[in-house]
Amino acid sequence: MAGQATAIGIGPAPRTAQRSQWEMALERFRAHRPATAGLLVLGALALLCAAAPLVSPYDPESVKLSLIHEGPSLAHPFGTDSLGRDLATRILYGGRVSLSVGLLTVTVAISVGTLVGTIAGYYGRWPDSVLMRLVDMMYSFPRLFLLILFGVFFKGMTLGVIVVVLGLLSWMTTARLVRASFLSLKHREFVEAARCVGARDRRIIVRHILPNSLAPIIVAATLGVASAIIAESTLSFLGLGIQPPTPSWGNMLKDAPSEMNLAPWVAIFPGLFIFLAVVSINFIGDGLRDALDPRHVTRRG
Amino acid sequence: MGRYVARRLLQAVPLLLGITLATFLILKAVPGGPLAAYEADPSVTPEDLARLEHAFGLDRPIPEQYLEWLGRFLTGDWGYSLATHLPVLRMIGDRLPNTVYLMGTVYLVTLLIAVPIGVLTAVRQYSWFDHLVTGATFMAFSTPTFWLGLLLIIVFGLNLRLFPLGGMGTLGSAFDVGDRLRHLVLPVATLSLVGIGHYVRYLRASMLETIGQDYMRTARAKGLMARIVIGRHAFKNAAIPLVTVAALDLPELFVGALVTEQIFGWPGMGRLFWDAATRSDYPILMGILTVASTLVIFANLLADVVYGYLDPRIRYS
Amino acid sequence: MTRLRRLFLSLSLVSLVLGACAPSSAPPAGGTASTGPTRGGTLIFALWQEPETLNPLYATQTVNTLVNEIAVEGLTSVDPNGEYVAVLAREVPSMQNGGLKVSADGKRMDVTYRLVQGVKWSDSAPFTSADVKFTWDLRMRDPKVTSRTGYDKIEGIDTPDELTVVVRYKETYAAFPELFGSLLPKHLLDGVPDLSKHDYTRRPLGTGPFRISEFIAGDHITAERNSNYRVRDRPLLDKVIFKIVPSREAAIAQLKAGEIHGMWNVLEAQVPDLEKDPSIKVSSVATGRLERLEFNLAKPGNPADPKVPHPVLGDLAVRRALLLATPKQQIIDKLLYGQAKPGRSALSIGWAASKDVDQEGYDPAKAKQVLDQAGWLPGPDGVRAKDGIRASLRLSTTSGDKVREDAEQLLVTEWKNIGIEAKIQNSPSSVFLGTWAQNAPRPRGDFDIAMYASTPDLDPQVYLAVRFQCAQIPQTANNGAGRNVNRFCDPQADKALDQAGATLDLQKRKEFYAQFLRILNDSVANVWIYNNNRINAFRANVGGYRASSWDEITGSIADWDVRN
Repeated sequence: MAGQATAIGIGPAPRTAQRSQWEMALERFRAHRPATAGLLVLGALALLCAAAPLVSPYDPESVKLSLIHEGPSLAHPFGTDSLGRDLATRILYGGRVSLSVGLLTVTVAISVGTLVGTIAGYYGRWPDSVLMRLVDMMYSFPRLFLLILFGVFFKGMTLGVIVVVLGLLSWMTTARLVRASFLSLKHREFVEAARCVGARDRRIIVRHILPNSLAPIIVAATLGVASAIIAESTLSFLGLGIQPPTPSWGNMLKDAPSEMNLAPWVAIFPGLFIFLAVVSINFIGDGLRDALDPRHVTRRG
Repeated sequence: MGRYVARRLLQAVPLLLGITLATFLILKAVPGGPLAAYEADPSVTPEDLARLEHAFGLDRPIPEQYLEWLGRFLTGDWGYSLATHLPVLRMIGDRLPNTVYLMGTVYLVTLLIAVPIGVLTAVRQYSWFDHLVTGATFMAFSTPTFWLGLLLIIVFGLNLRLFPLGGMGTLGSAFDVGDRLRHLVLPVATLSLVGIGHYVRYLRASMLETIGQDYMRTARAKGLMARIVIGRHAFKNAAIPLVTVAALDLPELFVGALVTEQIFGWPGMGRLFWDAATRSDYPILMGILTVASTLVIFANLLADVVYGYLDPRIRYS
Repeated sequence: MTRLRRLFLSLSLVSLVLGACAPSSAPPAGGTASTGPTRGGTLIFALWQEPETLNPLYATQTVNTLVNEIAVEGLTSVDPNGEYVAVLAREVPSMQNGGLKVSADGKRMDVTYRLVQGVKWSDSAPFTSADVKFTWDLRMRDPKVTSRTGYDKIEGIDTPDELTVVVRYKETYAAFPELFGSLLPKHLLDGVPDLSKHDYTRRPLGTGPFRISEFIAGDHITAERNSNYRVRDRPLLDKVIFKIVPSREAAIAQLKAGEIHGMWNVLEAQVPDLEKDPSIKVSSVATGRLERLEFNLAKPGNPADPKVPHPVLGDLAVRRALLLATPKQQIIDKLLYGQAKPGRSALSIGWAASKDVDQEGYDPAKAKQVLDQAGWLPGPDGVRAKDGIRASLRLSTTSGDKVREDAEQLLVTEWKNIGIEAKIQNSPSSVFLGTWAQNAPRPRGDFDIAMYASTPDLDPQVYLAVRFQCAQIPQTANNGAGRNVNRFCDPQADKALDQAGATLDLQKRKEFYAQFLRILNDSVANVWIYNNNRINAFRANVGGYRASSWDEITGSIADWDVRN
C-alpha cells in the first residue's frame, strides 16, 4: 500500500522513503510495455496536435469548394471533407479540442470528486449521508440521456460548457474512492497522532490523508480522460457538442452516415484517432494501476 | 435480509422523487420547446401559438406543472406526447419490445463469448492467448461505439453487402427468421464488442484473484484435477462479482443504446428518447427518464442482494 | 443523360428564358411505353421520418400531409400551376360564378360552395354539407389544432341543403380558397370529447383514393384502395405501403435494390448518384420554400428593444455588403448540386410573386467598396470596425442540418474575405425555432443573423403580415406576440400589405405585393439564399406521378401505377 511508508512516522514521511516509493512505481511503470508504448503514442499525438500550424500548410476552417471530397493523396493524406478542407489538418486541430476536453473534464471531475469525497469521508454524519445520496442520484441518471438534455439546454456548446457539463456528470467515482480511503485512514495511528499534536482539520486532510489516497485518484483520473474523450466525441457526433467550423474528432464524424458511400475516409480517419488516443490512455492507466498499487500487478513476465 | 431490502426500498422513494424533480426542472429550463414544430406552418399566427401553449398546459407555473405530472404519474396516467398526442405509456410500450429484443441478444452474446474467454485467459495466464486477448479487450473497450457501427456499415453493409444497413426486418415480406437475424448482426456486433472487452477483463481479474487464494492451493494440493478446481471452485467464486456487474447492466436492457439505435435505425427506446429530446416532448422524456432511473436503483439493489446471497461472508443488517 | 433529366433541363431553361416565376410542373414521368396505365398491385414508398400524427388538423410536418392527403380531401386544393381547383366542391367560388358575394358596404362576404353529388366517405357513409360545418366547428372548438387562421374570420356556416354550404365571413377575406383543404367526417367524430385521443389521429377516414388501414409505429403505414372513391377507375393501385426507414441512405440503398418503389425527400447531394442508375427516376420541382439569412435589425438583447438599432447590422451598408458577399450560385452548385434556384424575394413562385424583384448578385469587390465608403475600415486583425465597434456577428441556424452548417462555414470564409467576422452559434431546432414564452433566442431577439427556411402559402397575406409588419415585432409590450423576428418596420411596407389584404381584386393585390417586396428587398433585411426543390425518387417502372410546387408528390397518387 502506498500509505504504509508514511504510516510509520508522525507528520510527513521522510523524504527518502517517499522518493524511493515513487521511484519504485516509476520502475514498475517502465516495465509495463503497453503502457510505455501508450505514453509514446499519446505524447507524439499531443505534440503533433499542439504543433498543428507548423505541421500542416492548410487552414482547418477555410472552405475550398474546388476540392470537395478528394480521396487520400500525397497532398491530402487523409483526403478532404465535404467543404474541401484537408482532413489531416482538421484532425490535428480537432485533436487539440478533443484532448483538451479530456484533460480539463477530468480536472473538473477530480476536483469536485475529491472535495465531495473528502467532506463525506472525513466529517461523516449528515454531510456524508446527504452527499452520498447525491452521488446515488447522479449515478441513477443515464449519463448519455442527461448529456443530451444539457446539449439541448446550452445553445451552441462551447469547449468550456462541455468541460463543465461532462465534469459535473463524472465526479462520482472519484468521490466514492476518496471517501473510502478517508474512512479507512482517518482512524489510523498516524492521523490520530497528528490530531493529538493539535494539527487542524485542513492540515490533516491536505498533508496526511490526501497524499495517501493519491494512487487510486491518479488511476481513476487517467481512465477518466479516456472516457471523457469518448463522451465528447459521442456528443459531438450527435451534433450537440463542439459546433462547426471548429473541428473536434467527434463532430468531424457527424456527417459520416450520409457521406460514407461517397467518401468513406471522412468516416474512418477521425475515428481512428479517437481510438488511438483512447487505447493509449487506457494502457497508460493500466500501467499506472500496476505501478502505484503493487497488489494489482497482473503481469510480471 | 428482508429488513435490509425493505429499508433500501424505502430509501429509494425520496431518491426517485429527487430525480423526477431534477429532471423536470432541467427540461423546463431548456429554452425553446415543443411549439417550435409549428414554426414551419405559414398560417400559424401568434394567437395560435398562445392558444396551443395554453392547451398543452405550458403556460402554468412550473411547480404546478410538476405536481400535476407527479399526481397523474402515480395513478398510472403518464400523460400524452405533445407531438403524436398518443399516451406516453403506449409509445413506450411500442418501443420497449424492440429494445429488449436487441439488448437481450447483446447481453446473451456478450456473456456467452466473454465468460469462456475470461476463464481461459486466467487459466492460461501469460500465454500468447492471454496476451492476445488482453490486448484485444483493451482495443475493444477503447473503440467509440458509434465509430465501430459506422465501420461495420461501411465494410459489411456498403461494400460487401452482406448485411442490411438498418432496421429490424425487411418489410412487405412475411416474417422470416433468417431476415430478422441478418438485421440483428451488425448492431449486436457493435454493442457486444465493447461489452465483451469489459466482461473479459473483469472475469480474468477476479479469476486470478481466486486462483491465488489459499483454499485453491489446498484444493490443488489435495490432488484435485485442474478442471474440477477451475470449474467447481475458482469459477464459482470468481463469478460472484461478475453476477453483480451483470445485474448493474440490466437497466440497459430496457433503456437501450441510443447512439447505436440511431445509426442502425432501430426503432427502440433510445431513438424515442432522441426524437423526444430534439422536439422537447416533455411527457415522453419524463416517462423514459423516470423508468430508466428506477431501473438503475433496482438493479443496484438486486446486485447487492445477489452478492449477499452468493457470498455468505457478506451479512446485511 | 436520361430522358427525364433532359426534360428537366429544358424545362428549367425555358423558365430561365421566360424569367418565369410561375411554378414549373414536371410532366408525368415514368415508363415511356404507350400501353396505358397498369391496374392493381402494391407500391412501397419509403419515408425516413415517421409522421407524428395523420390528423390534418394537428399536422406540423410535411410528412404528415404527404400521408394523410391520400385519404383526406377538402373542398378545394391547389394544382401544379398554382391555381385553386375544386375537389369536393363543384367549382371554386368566385365573383364570376356567383359563389362569392360581398355585402353592399364591402365589409362582409358570403361564400357559397355547391358540393359534388354522390360522394361517399370510405366507410360508405354519404358526404354532406353537415361535414363541412362540422369541420369548422371542430377547428374552432379543439384547442390543439395547429392553426385557426382564416377560420376565425367566419361568423357562421349555413347548410340550406345537403349539397350547399354558405360560409358567412365577418369581413372580406381574400384568402378564403385556402380554407377547407381537409374535411373531417361528422358521422364518425361527432360527440368525441377529445379528438387528439381518438383513433382518427392514426387512421384518418376521408373521401380520398385510399383509406389508411394500419399504422404500426416505427415500422409502416398501410393504405388500401378506397372502393367508394368518386373518380371512376381510380386509384390504379390496390395498396400503398409507407415504409418507415431509418434514414435517407437506407431508403436509397433499398430503392437501388428494388425493395421499394419510391422514396420521399431525397437530399440534393444524393441526386447525382441516383441519376446514374438507369432503373431510377428522380422527380424534382422548385418550391416556395425559401432559405434565408435573417438579419436582426434591433440591438440584440433578451428581449431586444426594437427602437434601438443593431450596432453593426443596423447599417444598411453592412447588410448590403453581406448580401454582395453571399455566393448564392456557388452554394447551390456545390452544396445543393444544382437542385435549387437562387432566392430573389420573399415570394418566389405563385401569382403573388413578382418576377422583376431581385437582389444584387455576388460581387465581393463591390462589398468591400461599400464598406469602405460607409466608414467600416479594416482593423489590425483584418476585421473591419467603425467608431470602435468591430464587425463581428453571430451566425445561427438549427444544429445538425448538414447543408445549413456547410453553407454557414462557406459564408464565414466568404465574409472573412471582406473583413466581416462571423461566429457560428447553432442550437437544436426545438430551441432555435422556439417561442417567446419558452425564451428562445430568435423571438427574444438575442441573435445577429439567423439562417432558416419557411414556405409561404399560395395566398401570402397572413404569412407576410405576421412576419414583416411593425405591430408583429415580438417585444415586452405585446408579450412576445408576433413573428417579425427580423424586427423589420417600414410604414410604407405596412401600408402596402394592408391594402393587399383588403381587396379581392387579384391584379390589384399583385401590385401591392410587388410594392411591398421591393421595399423589403431595398432594406436588405434578409438575404434570400435559395428556393429548395422538392425531390422524390421512384423506380423506373412506376408511372403517373406528377410533381407540384404546391403539393406533396402524393397529391397525384390516384394515378400512380407499377408496371412489371
